[in-house]
Amino acid sequence: MTAFIAGPNGTADFSDTPLWLSVVKALFIFVYLLVSTLLVIWFERRVIGRMQQRPGPNRNGPFGLLQTLADGMKSMLKEDLKPANADSVVFTLAPLITATMCFVSFSIMPLAGDVTLFGHRTPLQLTDLPVAVLMVLAVAGVGIYGIVLAGWSSGSTYPLMGSLRATAQMVSYEIAMGLSLVSVFLYSGSMATSQIVQAQESLWHFIPACFAFFVYVVTMVGETNRLPFDLAEGEGEIVGGYFTEYSGMRFAMFFLGEYINMFTVAALATTMFLGGWQAPFGLPDNGWWGLLWFTAKLWFFMFVFVWLRGSLPRVRYDQFMRFGWKFLIPTTLLWVVAVAFYVAAKNNWFGGPILQIAGRDYSLAVLIVIGVCASLVIVASWILGDRAERRAAERLPQIPVEVDPFAGGYPVPPLPGQRLVEPGAADDAYAATKEVSRG
Amino acid sequence: MGDAAVTIGTGEQVMFWILAPIAVMASLGLVFARKAVHAALGMALTMIILGVFYIAQGADFLGVIQIFVYTGAVMMLFLFVIMLIGVDASDSLIETLKGQRWAAGLLVLGLGGILVSAVGSVTYGLSDGVAQTNTSKGNVPAMAELIFGRYVWVFEVTSALLITAALGAMVLAHRERLGKGPNQREWSRRRFEKGENLAGLPVPGVYARHNAVDTPALLPDGSISELSVSRVLSAREQTRSPLADLEAEDAIRAEIESGSER
Amino acid sequence: MSALPAFEAVAVDYWAVAPMLVVVAGALLGVLVEAFAPRESRHSAQVALTVGTLVAAFGVLVWRSVNHHSVTFGGSVAVDGPALFLQGALLVMSSVAVLVMAERFGGVGGDAFTPMGASTPGSSQEAAAAKAGYATSEVFPLTLFAVFGMMIFVSANDLITMFVGLEVLSLPLYVMTGLARRRRLLSQEAALKYFLLGAFSSAFFLFGAALIYGFAGSTDLAKIQSAIAQGTTGMDGLLVPGVLLLIIGLLFKVGAVPFHMWTPDAYQGAPTPVTGFMAACTKVAAFGAILRLVYVGVEGSRWDWRLGIAAIAILTMVVGAVLSVTQTDVKRLLAYSSIAHAGFILVGVLAFSKAAVSGVMFYLVAYGFATIAAFAIISMVRQGGSEASHLSQWAGLGKRHPVVAAVFSLLLLAFAGIPLTSGFTAKFAAFAPAVTSGGTAGVLMVIVGVLASAVTAYVYVRIIVLMYFTAAPEAGEGEEVVALMPSIGTTVAITVGVLATILLGIWPGWALDLAGRAAQFML
Repeated sequence: MTAFIAGPNGTADFSDTPLWLSVVKALFIFVYLLVSTLLVIWFERRVIGRMQQRPGPNRNGPFGLLQTLADGMKSMLKEDLKPANADSVVFTLAPLITATMCFVSFSIMPLAGDVTLFGHRTPLQLTDLPVAVLMVLAVAGVGIYGIVLAGWSSGSTYPLMGSLRATAQMVSYEIAMGLSLVSVFLYSGSMATSQIVQAQESLWHFIPACFAFFVYVVTMVGETNRLPFDLAEGEGEIVGGYFTEYSGMRFAMFFLGEYINMFTVAALATTMFLGGWQAPFGLPDNGWWGLLWFTAKLWFFMFVFVWLRGSLPRVRYDQFMRFGWKFLIPTTLLWVVAVAFYVAAKNNWFGGPILQIAGRDYSLAVLIVIGVCASLVIVASWILGDRAERRAAERLPQIPVEVDPFAGGYPVPPLPGQRLVEPGAADDAYAATKEVSRG
Repeated sequence: MGDAAVTIGTGEQVMFWILAPIAVMASLGLVFARKAVHAALGMALTMIILGVFYIAQGADFLGVIQIFVYTGAVMMLFLFVIMLIGVDASDSLIETLKGQRWAAGLLVLGLGGILVSAVGSVTYGLSDGVAQTNTSKGNVPAMAELIFGRYVWVFEVTSALLITAALGAMVLAHRERLGKGPNQREWSRRRFEKGENLAGLPVPGVYARHNAVDTPALLPDGSISELSVSRVLSAREQTRSPLADLEAEDAIRAEIESGSER
Repeated sequence: MSALPAFEAVAVDYWAVAPMLVVVAGALLGVLVEAFAPRESRHSAQVALTVGTLVAAFGVLVWRSVNHHSVTFGGSVAVDGPALFLQGALLVMSSVAVLVMAERFGGVGGDAFTPMGASTPGSSQEAAAAKAGYATSEVFPLTLFAVFGMMIFVSANDLITMFVGLEVLSLPLYVMTGLARRRRLLSQEAALKYFLLGAFSSAFFLFGAALIYGFAGSTDLAKIQSAIAQGTTGMDGLLVPGVLLLIIGLLFKVGAVPFHMWTPDAYQGAPTPVTGFMAACTKVAAFGAILRLVYVGVEGSRWDWRLGIAAIAILTMVVGAVLSVTQTDVKRLLAYSSIAHAGFILVGVLAFSKAAVSGVMFYLVAYGFATIAAFAIISMVRQGGSEASHLSQWAGLGKRHPVVAAVFSLLLLAFAGIPLTSGFTAKFAAFAPAVTSGGTAGVLMVIVGVLASAVTAYVYVRIIVLMYFTAAPEAGEGEEVVALMPSIGTTVAITVGVLATILLGIWPGWALDLAGRAAQFML
C-alpha cells in the first residue's frame, strides 16, 4: 500500500506539482474521458446487441470499434437546424454548458495514488478540495442548466416538457444522492476525495454503508437520465425530450455530456464506496497500478448501466417521483442518523464500557446502537410488510366460482377453478357476477 | 500568516480582472434583461462567479455551497417557475407611478455614492482569517465549529423558518380537491341530458397543408367553428386562422386543374 | 479514520431560553395537529393548544427564567431584564390576540380567515370550501412561529441571531396577512406588498450587518461595542453607514416614515385580528431589537447618527398624525395612528437613559393592549355580513351599541393620550426622559410629539363625535351596521385590553416600577 501524504487543510499533497504539470494532468483527464466515451458507446451497443441476441456494430474497424468515430463524423457534417421560435443565444449556450460542465467534476477524482510524472511526485488527481465531493454535486447542479435551457430555448412544447421532467428528476434525485454520500463523509471524517479513499484502506465503504451504496446506485441512474429512469426523453410520450429540436454537432454535445456524466457518477461511486484506485485482495496498487484498478471499477459500473438498459422497462413518472421522495429520501435520512449514532459510539463519545468479544474490542455503545437499529428495521419491515400484504390481498380481483359462458353474448372459456353454470340459470348467474365484481 | 495572506497571487488577480467584469455585466443583465429567463441566467452567472471568488480566497466550503445552493437549487427553482408560468412572459414596462424610475435612479445613485465613498475611504488592515483557519483547523471543521457552537441556536431556529415556509406555501398554494370530479360516464350523461354536442365537441381542422390543435375547423357552411379549438388557446389568443390554409388549398386545386388542362 | 479535533459544545442556560423552547414546541405540535387531527376538531384543538402554549411559556418565564438572567449560547442570545420583560409582554399580548383570532361568530373556523387560501377569490371553489367546513386553522401554528421569532428578536445579542429572528417573525406574518376571508384581493395585495417591502428591509439590515462586521470583525453586539470603544481601526468609515442601514432595516418593521409605505396597506388588507396582533406584537419586538442594538451594540457612536434618527422620528410623528386626518377607513386610520405612535416611541428611544428604556417598554405594553382590543372591536362591527370599516358606516353606532361604542371611545382616548388612560402615562414615560437627558433635540422632538398628539386627538375625537352625535344613514332591512355578539374569547380579550388601559392610566406605578427594574441590559 502506498503511504498517504496529507497536504494542508485535509486534502491531497500537491506541494511538488508545478503549474505546467497540472495542465498536463488536465489534458490527460480530457483525453482519458474522450477515449472512454468513444469506447463506451461501442461497448454499450455491442453488449446490448449480445443481450438481444444480435451482433451489434461490427463493420467499421476491428470488432466495429470505429463505429462511434464514424457516427461522430456524421454528426459533425449533418445540417444544423434551429427552430424559428428558438432563442438563438441560449439555444447555442445550452449544449455548451452540458458538454463543458461534465468534464469539471473529474478534476477531483483520484485516478491513482502518488505517481512520478516527469520527475515530480504527485497524486494522479488534478486537484483536491476539503469539500471536493460537494463540488461534484455543485457542478452537477450547474450542468442541469444545460438541460433546462435546451428545453426552454427550443421554443417548442415537447422539449419544454422534457426539460421540466429532466430537471425535476435530477433535482429531486440529487437530494437523495447527497444524503447517501453523507454517511460516507461520516465514516471517513472528510469530504476530500483523497481522504475518503484513504479511509477505505482497511474496509471499502460499500460494506459498512451498504444501504447508502444501494441508494447511490439507484440515484446515479436517475441522475444520468438512463433507463429505466430515462423519462426525460421517453420517446413514446414526449418525442425526444429536451433535445427534440437539436441536431448535428449541438446534439452530439448533449450525447457526449450524457456519457461523461455516466463516467462521473461511476467514478464517484468508485471513489466513495469501492475503495477508489485501491486494489482488492492485497494486489499491487502503488503508482500507476491504481489507474488500472480505478478504470476496472469504472467499467464495472458502465456494464451495470448497460445491463440495466438491456433488461428493464421504463418506469412511470409518478411512480419514479414517489419512489424518490417518499422512499429514498426519508429512508436515507434515517440511515444517516443511524450512521451518525454508530460513528459517535465507535469514537466512544457516549462513554460506556468496552467489551471483548472473540478477541476484538467492542464498545458497549456500538453494540447498543447496532442492536437498536437492527430491531427498528425488523419491526418496521414487519409492520410495512404486513400492510403491503393486506393491500395486495385487497387488490386481488374477486373471481366468481360459477360463470355463464354466454353472459356477454359471446362464448367465454372459464378460468381455472371456475365452473360453468347451466344455460337455464344464465341470467341469474350473470346478475350474481355483476354483484360480486361490484362488491 | 501575516503578510503572506495579504498579498494576492498573480493568478488570483488575473482571475479577478477577468471574472469581475463578467459578474458585473451579468448582474446588470439581471436588472435590464427583457426576458425573465435571461435575467435569471444573469443571476445564476453572478452567483457562480461569486462562488469562484470565495474558493479563490480560501473559503472552499462557502464557495461550493454558494454554487450548489444558489445556482443549483434556488435559481433552478426560479427558472422552473418562470418556465411553468409563461414561456413567453416578459415584463410589462408601463409605469404606474409617474417619474418613479427617475426618482428611484436618483436615490440609487445617492445611496450608491454614499456607500462607495464610505467603503472606499476605509483603509483595510491585514487579514489572516481564512488562511490561518484553513491551516490550523481546516476549512470545514472550523465552519462546523461555528455552526454547532456559538451559532447552534440560530442554526436550529432556521428550521422553524423552513417549517414556516413549508406551512405557508401549503396554506397559500395547496388547493385541496373538494369532492370528486365528474368522470367520463357522467360527462356523457350530462351531454345527453342537455342535448348539446351529443357526439362530443368538433375536432380541430385538418387542411391540406396544416393539421394542428390551434386551427379551428370549418362548419359545413364554411363558417369557422369556435368550439373546435381549446378554450384555453382561444382565451390566450393563440389560435390561428384557417383562411391561409383555405387559400393554399384553393391554390393547390387550381394548380391541379391547370395541370390537367395542360 | 482521521482524528477529528475535539469539539467543545457551548454552554447553554436552558431555563433562560425555556419560554422560547415552549413556544416553538407548541408551534411544532400545532403543525402535527394540522396534519393528523380530524377537520371538525382542529379549530378548538388549535386554539386550546396555542393559548395553552403561550400561557405555559409565560408561566415558565415568570417561574424560572426571571432568575436566569444570562448571556447564553456563546453570546448569541442575551436573556436580560428588557428581554424578559418584552418576552413576557409578547406572550400575554399574543395570547390575548389569539383569543380574538379564534372568534368564530357561529361559523366553523376563525371568522376572519378564508376557508381555503389557495382558492381563487370569489370562485365557486371558495364557496365549496366554505360549505364543506374548511378552515385555515394553520394560522395558529403560524402565530406561534411569529411569537417565537419575536421572542428571539428581543433577546438577540448577535446581528445574525437578530436577522434570523427578524425572518422568523416576518414570514408567518406575510402569510397570515394574505388570508382574510373578506375582500381577499385586497388582502392578497397587502400580503405581497408587505412581503416585498419586508424582504427589501431585510436586505438593508443585512447590508448594514456586513458593514458593521467589516468594522468590528464580529457580529456580536458586545464585540461591536468594544470595537467602537477602542476607537479608530482605520475602518470607521464603515461604522455610521452600517449603523444607519441596520436601523433602517429595523425601522421598516415599526413603520417609521419614510419606511412606512407598507403599513396602511398591510393593516387594511390583513384579517383584522391579525392586524391587531401585528400592530401590537411586531412593534414590541422591533422596538425591543432597536433598543438592544442602539443601547448595547452601537451606543458608543450615537453622536454620529443620532440626529438622522431624530429627523426620522420627527418626520414619523408629523406624517403619521397629518395623514391620519385624511383617512376614511378605520383600519387605515389606525395604521397611520400606529405610525405616529412609532414616532413617539422613537423619541423615547433616542433619550439614551435607563429611564428611557423603561418608558419605551411601558409605552409598548400600553399601546399593545389598547391596539389589540381596538382591532377586536373593528372586527365585530359589520354591515351586510362584511366588516364595516369605512368611517361613514360608524355614524350613529353609539345609539345602537352603546357599550361597543363606549369601549372603542375609551381606546381612542387612550391612543390620543388623554389623562387617566394608559396613553397619557405612556407618553409621559416616553417623553420625560427625552426632556431630561435628550438635549435640545430631545426637547424639540417632544414639542413636535405633543403637537402631533394634538392632531391625532382631533382625529380620534372626530370618530367619537361621529359615533355619538351623527345620525346613522337610513339603511334597508339587513343592511344596518351592527356589532356582532362576541364569543367569550373576544370578550375576554377586549376586557383585558380595556382593563389594562384603565389600570395603566390610573395606577401605573407598579408597571413602571416593573419596567424600571427590568431596564438593565446585560452584555
